[in-house]
Amino acid sequence: MSSRQANLTIAAFAAAFLCVAPAQAEKGKVGQKVSSVSAKKVYTGTGKVLEGGVVAISGGKIDSVSGGGSEEFHAITPGLVDLGARAGAILWSVEQSNEVTARLSNSAALDPWGLEWDRLVKSGVTTVLATPLDQNVVGGLSQVLKTAGEDSITARTVRKDSVLRGAMGQQPSQRNSPAFGRPTDFYARRPTTRMGVEWEWRSAFHKTALGQNEGGERETLMKALKGEVVLSIAAWTTQDIRTAVFAVEEIKQKELFRSQGLDKPRVVIDAAAEAWKEPQLLARSGIPVVLPPFTATGRTREGALLPRNAADELRKAGVVFALSAHGSGAYDSNLAVQAGAAMSGGLPFDEALKAVTSTPARLVGADARVGSLEEGKDADLALWNGEPFEPTSRVVAVIVDGVLVWDGRD
Amino acid sequence: MKQHILPGALACAALSILSVDALAGDGKIAIKAGRVITMNGAEIKDGVIVIEDGRITEVAAGAATRWDSELLDHPELTAFPGFVEAHTNRGMDRPNENLEVAPFLDVRDSIDPINFYFEDSLRQGIVALNIQQGPMCVVGAQGRVVRPFGMTVEDMTIKPDAGLKIVAGSRMGRSRATQAMMLRKSFTDVERYLVKLMQDEKDGKDAAKREALFQGRDPEKPENKEGRAMEGVAKWKLSGFEIVGRGLVDKKQEPMLRLVEGKLMAFVQCDGAASVHLALEVARHNGFLANTVLVLDGDSFKAVDAIAEAGVPVVLGPNMVWTERDPLNGKENETFIPSVFAGKKVRFALQSLNSTSQSLWFQAATCVSYGLDRETALASVTSTAADILRLGKRVGRLAPGLDGNVVLMSGDPLSATARVEYVVLDGELVYDRSKDPRAKQLLEGVEQPGAAQQGLPDEEVDPHSGQKKPAKNDKGDKTEKKD
Repeated sequence: MSSRQANLTIAAFAAAFLCVAPAQAEKGKVGQKVSSVSAKKVYTGTGKVLEGGVVAISGGKIDSVSGGGSEEFHAITPGLVDLGARAGAILWSVEQSNEVTARLSNSAALDPWGLEWDRLVKSGVTTVLATPLDQNVVGGLSQVLKTAGEDSITARTVRKDSVLRGAMGQQPSQRNSPAFGRPTDFYARRPTTRMGVEWEWRSAFHKTALGQNEGGERETLMKALKGEVVLSIAAWTTQDIRTAVFAVEEIKQKELFRSQGLDKPRVVIDAAAEAWKEPQLLARSGIPVVLPPFTATGRTREGALLPRNAADELRKAGVVFALSAHGSGAYDSNLAVQAGAAMSGGLPFDEALKAVTSTPARLVGADARVGSLEEGKDADLALWNGEPFEPTSRVVAVIVDGVLVWDGRD
Repeated sequence: MKQHILPGALACAALSILSVDALAGDGKIAIKAGRVITMNGAEIKDGVIVIEDGRITEVAAGAATRWDSELLDHPELTAFPGFVEAHTNRGMDRPNENLEVAPFLDVRDSIDPINFYFEDSLRQGIVALNIQQGPMCVVGAQGRVVRPFGMTVEDMTIKPDAGLKIVAGSRMGRSRATQAMMLRKSFTDVERYLVKLMQDEKDGKDAAKREALFQGRDPEKPENKEGRAMEGVAKWKLSGFEIVGRGLVDKKQEPMLRLVEGKLMAFVQCDGAASVHLALEVARHNGFLANTVLVLDGDSFKAVDAIAEAGVPVVLGPNMVWTERDPLNGKENETFIPSVFAGKKVRFALQSLNSTSQSLWFQAATCVSYGLDRETALASVTSTAADILRLGKRVGRLAPGLDGNVVLMSGDPLSATARVEYVVLDGELVYDRSKDPRAKQLLEGVEQPGAAQQGLPDEEVDPHSGQKKPAKNDKGDKTEKKD
């Protein structure tokens, strides 16, 4: 109803109307398969831009990306990828029996009917990393999955149990009770300090190398140390980022780990707000980061400072980075807004696009399927009514696996 | 309470933490920009804006050098009249007042000139803000339109008596019915008071005289002694009111009398469609519909037909997307609120989401992304907003006769990457981004001088101790501390 009214206004103001959206095709039916879609500009996510590009789709995969098509949309980008989406990261995703619960998988805890998936889809996000809430030091195995598709987590999963998630800093100790003060109860846990969190991490690694922990835990942590699964560590402030990097470098140097081939962890630091303060350290260690959402004041949680030029500074230092909206689909804070904010800090458009598509896909080993528009990859497309990441444009339709899953056009 | 800003005097008097070298003081400056968005007709390429004694005297194309005035020459920048915040509860020490009916209060006494909010507003290119009391009342204080610069409230004031705050929506702990009853009663109380005043005058009682003297008014002064018939179009118009000298009217009651007589605007806050009807009914019954601006939140847009019929302008709430869950399929449906009002040709202004990043520029840009035409979107944060506040002859456009406010931006005001570089208010350069330490921190991470961590080796010191509070806008999952 409202959109029809808007159309009428536009007609009424036709004289003053500056054309933002090109003539668009008829609104499509959600759920239908799309065989091809075209736009004025197709950004493939590999650095290429095709003017008047057409993406041909068959069997849910991209058949070809070529030029010379009509212009149904202003722009097409790969469906966006968010490694910090926090989908399903609720308190009930935290197993409270232990601080290190590496063997647990959140696959069974995710709800395909949750409202967060649709919100993410509407903001153009088609692939996310779903992690447990960071209330444990090592929370468990996480899923790379699509935000739309069948109502089944299994069917939507791109890579199952491919990332082991944990956290540094304050957060994993936040709900734990101290030994003094209020009497501790059945649920009281350790650690209660930053140093305690660090000790839990190093203890978990060392117990694994020494064969001192329980079989299932050990098996999962071994995979992480061997680099068979990605190790995602949430660390917001400089001190926590340094702690994470030093913990990894210790493993790489110690004979105990090297002799068993446990010195090859593939670490990604998530929510690394202050990574820009340690660019050399990160460049030296080759550890990529995911930035948390930019805030109004520049301050994020844990008191970290995240200025607008953080992403561009990391780029200049050669640190691989991705952007994240932490699951927000709202018009003022979604992933496109984060890319725009990074651009306002000097990040070039191409780099901003990579940071929300191909880079995050690569960091979790999903780049064979998602993150760019190339032949043979999943047909996950975000369709825009203007230049991507500008606040004057937005995602107006989304295709996942070749199926139109949302169409918000008038 | 009549006030007039004397910009020349201001140029010398106004100093703030953001103060920059003011342009020299013969009172005439010329601003040249590569692009001038006037909001008053077509854009001008390579234009010049001349400001004399705080007022714009010329807006024209032409690169001719102006030898007779101080020059701000920036061909690389875009000149813009600046944004107008049509309604806000910020910038005061606290926005809400416990008294339920307190029209005798004035936000003047709550506005805090050194509140960071004003500095942030300036940084976002806002040149005028309508400060109104918060919504936790029935009839609130008189608002005030200010500019975000100046050491005193008087320095800042663009328009005192900007209007009364009235709340039609339900408040915390009160039902909608209670609020409606209290709101209607607040007007009948004034009516009853005036009737009694009239009767007392007829009976020769002098309680009102003594109260007037107590409040510091001499009821015998000619201007106080003179009575006037009740003006305005209130249904409860009093006949014979002219026998009461106006000086006898209690200061506490006077603002609502002025409202009913059509001499004051009302900003009526509605928390949802249900309260719109109450707002319009009260405004109609008491004769101030023509001076009413609705401040809308929640699903108030659903009453758009009633609003269009009443012909009142609206200020839309900060969240422009209304999300509702379909009870049948559980899916969320979105409505873009400004489109609803644009569709019914209701004049609307927007409010900022927050002062530092998603400010008015972002709200207007979002309107464009949802299909509104650019002209309407820009006007809703500049010229239309100014017109709604009845300040169209002072702010919101670049045209001769208006206040000398110019914002110079590094690009299009609606683009992600444009920044406010300079702000000129009343002919005085009051903001220069290159000299703004807080912008440096937000944009480039350069910590402000004097911050605790300056010069200390961060191996030994936690650089953020004492700053453990999560940021206000943090969307991360919040957990409360157990201890």
